Amino acid sequence: MSEPVLELENIVFSYGKGIDPALNGVSLSVGRGVKTVILGANGAGKSTLFGIMNALYRPDKGTVKYNGVPYVYRKKAVTRIRTDVSILFQNPDDMLFKPYVGQDVAYGPENLGLPSAEVEIRVRDSLRAVGMLEYRDKPTMRLSYGQRKRVALAGVLAMQPKVLILDEPTAGLDPQMASEVMEIAEQLHRNGTTVIMSSHDTDLVYSWADEVHVLMNGRCVYSGVPEGFYRDKNSVYLAGLLQPKVFLMNEGLATLTGCSVEPYPRTRSQLVGKTIGSGRGCGRLYVLPVPGMASDETVVKALSVAGISDMPKGIYGRSARKARNIASVGIDYMYDGPENCFLKCMEGKDSLLLCDPDMVDIVVSMVSVMASDGFGTIECSVLEPAEKRERKTPKK
Amino acid sequence: MTLAADKEKESDVGGGGKTPSRSGASSVTDQVQMDELAYSSRMLSWPPLGKLMLTLFLLFVGLFTDSIIVPMITFCIGICLMVYSTNMRLPLLIAIAILEAVAIMVLGSGMISIMGDHHDPAIFQGHILWFDAYMTVESFNKAWLIFFRAIAGVTLMLSFASSTPIPHLALACRRLHVPREITELIVLVYRYAFLLLERMLVMISAAKCRLGYNGPLKTMKSYAGAMVGTFIFSMEIAEKSEATLACRNYRGFFPIYRMPAKVAWPWPVISVVSVVALYVFGMYTADVIDMYKLFAPLLGW
Amino acid sequence: MKDVSFTHSSALPNVLDSINLSVTKGSRSAIMGANGAGKTTFFYTLMGVYKPQKGEVLFDGEPIEYSKKGLSKVRSKIGMVLQNPDEQLFSTIVEEDIAFGPMNLGIPRDEIDIRIDRALKDVRMTGYRSVPLHQLSGGQRKRIAIAGALAVQPEVMIMDEPTAGLDPQASLEVMELAEKLHLRGVTVLVSTHDVDLAYSWCDDVHVLRHGKCIYSGTSEGFYSDRENVYLSGLLQPSTYTMNREIALICGTDESPYPRKVCEYLSKIGKGGKTPGTVYLLPYEEGTGLTDRLSKVPSDARVGVYGSDARNQASDERCRVDFYFDGLDSCFTDAVLGKDSVLVYDSVYSPLIEEQVAALKGFGSDISTEVVM
Repeated sequence: MSEPVLELENIVFSYGKGIDPALNGVSLSVGRGVKTVILGANGAGKSTLFGIMNALYRPDKGTVKYNGVPYVYRKKAVTRIRTDVSILFQNPDDMLFKPYVGQDVAYGPENLGLPSAEVEIRVRDSLRAVGMLEYRDKPTMRLSYGQRKRVALAGVLAMQPKVLILDEPTAGLDPQMASEVMEIAEQLHRNGTTVIMSSHDTDLVYSWADEVHVLMNGRCVYSGVPEGFYRDKNSVYLAGLLQPKVFLMNEGLATLTGCSVEPYPRTRSQLVGKTIGSGRGCGRLYVLPVPGMASDETVVKALSVAGISDMPKGIYGRSARKARNIASVGIDYMYDGPENCFLKCMEGKDSLLLCDPDMVDIVVSMVSVMASDGFGTIECSVLEPAEKRERKTPKK
Repeated sequence: MTLAADKEKESDVGGGGKTPSRSGASSVTDQVQMDELAYSSRMLSWPPLGKLMLTLFLLFVGLFTDSIIVPMITFCIGICLMVYSTNMRLPLLIAIAILEAVAIMVLGSGMISIMGDHHDPAIFQGHILWFDAYMTVESFNKAWLIFFRAIAGVTLMLSFASSTPIPHLALACRRLHVPREITELIVLVYRYAFLLLERMLVMISAAKCRLGYNGPLKTMKSYAGAMVGTFIFSMEIAEKSEATLACRNYRGFFPIYRMPAKVAWPWPVISVVSVVALYVFGMYTADVIDMYKLFAPLLGW
Repeated sequence: MKDVSFTHSSALPNVLDSINLSVTKGSRSAIMGANGAGKTTFFYTLMGVYKPQKGEVLFDGEPIEYSKKGLSKVRSKIGMVLQNPDEQLFSTIVEEDIAFGPMNLGIPRDEIDIRIDRALKDVRMTGYRSVPLHQLSGGQRKRIAIAGALAVQPEVMIMDEPTAGLDPQASLEVMELAEKLHLRGVTVLVSTHDVDLAYSWCDDVHVLRHGKCIYSGTSEGFYSDRENVYLSGLLQPSTYTMNREIALICGTDESPYPRKVCEYLSKIGKGGKTPGTVYLLPYEEGTGLTDRLSKVPSDARVGVYGSDARNQASDERCRVDFYFDGLDSCFTDAVLGKDSVLVYDSVYSPLIEEQVAALKGFGSDISTEVVM
């Protein structure tokens, strides 16, 4: 377990005198770089907890520590905390203050008092990270719900927080956009941000979380790995939650076939891998890093260099998805690429995953986890990145 | 799963629970406090129309008599009703608001008292800042009368407001044949006021999360942003509610399902009797108390 | 079959564009599509709030008349629950809001009183009759919005994202309610982004894309066309994918398609265990549960399905293992070779027969025993 970045000790908080406390003695600690999920039924106190973490509310009792230093509720100190700990609210409309996308993303950094050149860089970087750069000068009112959500996320990213709290990040989004948001969360995690999330989507949580904290009636009733919590059906029910489907299926299959429940598969591909058993020949997974600004031609060229052409192709990451005319390459899995490619490999076929350069590591580690847990050994080879279009040549 | 746990859980999930949970977050503003006060008032079950009638009658009788005793009595009635209605639990914020109102009235009556008729003999004359103060016996007495009328009005209205939720008021208006458009508007505005308030509070916390309070200019901008956001939200919800009203077969008015207690005969009788009694009482006691004579020895006039 | 049919072409520019689809009376249908595909507009068009510029909407075979009377007739038969409850709650007190719809229809007060009670029971908010709405939480407001639509006793129930923002258990309760309406003969139309949920529940799916209806029919028919699924902003349900992959890898048959956990386990773990017995305890108002529960083996786990049964079980403080998701959990236990007890509202009987028959198709011959 890594060192804690946020520690809450015995937090009691109520919205007013005489009102039942929303949080009633919560103690939990969030480890640095640990993918953390806060679970709980409606009204269990998740949003209040986030408000406490962000120093929006001052607890009646108990202390909050950031990097081991207790929160001080003075203006400067609070500003420092909020610079490092940021929240993305559930409803993007709550977050949008300015009429234009670019202005809105700049709102946070400007409040930090950064020089305008720095603000400019941050706005561009964060808009690029959510794939909304070309909407910079569009009015926020004109955007769709999913786009507004991404702009709101960019606004938070522009603060460059060390700890990012996402309150129901996938609520109200269609499945593809939800999977994109999860990709962004994964990428942020990889880049060293501690991501904390709350969600009602049990299956999604299960596939993503390293650690869950379960709130019930303003108390934290469980902290630890998800399986430890889901194994105890009664406490899952009491907390207003349900067991994830994949978890239930794995448990059921273990009973039926007599094999052990462990290791716990968390995703569809892992469950399929476990069901069909090892000993089958898996296909090879090719990973092609596709940097931003790439186009279909460069991808095709890179593929021909590697000597592969005809196989199922999936995409992981926004810059790969946004590469010019990428559809003409013949993408089979525009969203949820890794899962689908793993499944294809288990069928014994080779598959190709086009992903952002900084997400190659994520994919490689996913594959190695699958192999070490015995869900299927997929050979994985990373190809030479598809080059940016050579703009330098005409200059010479 | 144990039995006790089941039961406990049931009441949390929402179904079996008998006590409503307060959603909390928004209980910080005048309106919410006033509303919660009204719903917990001991006078909630009194018919709103009766309360309204009594309040208005008492107000008017205070205005139409020249005796200072009548507004004093109505003031006492108002205080008693308010104490009974709120059970002595006046929220701090509202108490401050009352004190503020009283302070304004003191100032106002003070102004009246120093603007006496120059033909009458002065009991006090001089310059207060840039005012040419000229106080006469009559202006002094008049100021006291107006002061008592005003605070009597405030306490009476407050005792009414602290015991009558807006929906009940709207119903009373309907009974009095106030135009439908106005009463429907009251209901809708009341409902949406809470929604907009919630929205605004969330936006302000979102602004705080993004450090929108660093410096006065930025704070102002943030609040302006939240206001604009709330405004846009109100437009959106107005547009949408038109469609949803249609879906629910809206026919131009809000029907009332649970009629509050009807006005029984004691209400008009009590109102009229008390008014007549006070008025007659006022006629006979018009000159019993002369504030000037009361204060003269104190102030050395 | 086409008793209720909605046909209309080219409604609002860019929002709905030549939609042709018909909803069968008494069916469970899901309307799916990405954000902004036109689902909500479509629902409003069905309610006659928007009048299509071209084409027409047929209800019970007759085109909607856009007169006051005609619209009122249609709207008294269709109930609608919006995604955001705040948009549809107008009164300040819970019971006033539930009474709003029926009062507008001119239903007598005694009848409304019964309906309010019934509706509050169905959404399990009985103690909240005279509470002001703004004191309720978001999830509770959603329940009240649903109760308001139930009180109209519609023939068609439209639910726009009924589970959005609800925690998993509350979502399941809503879906149970939808199932109950279906069994009462109400046509239920649900829009959702949750592909897994829609897949386990609905008979038909209608997929909207850019204001066009691109697919109407069974779920499998749609999900097997991956290209189309991708273009519609959706993903394949996980149960569907896993079944398909395992069929491909093991060379077995893809159909029958499992949609629930118990069905999946029954199919994939074929013959692992002799199936157990499910003891059925149908609950009707006025009957007790404790006595009957004492008649079943004490090691069998107990599941609850339906709001009335759930209320009763908690009132009697019965021994319950699966407070939510009772149906699937009990049958899963049975597939795994354990006995289980299912307490359910008696309206659900046909659904349970359906489930037993379905599981037989997957190879688990589960015996049931009704305990009276």
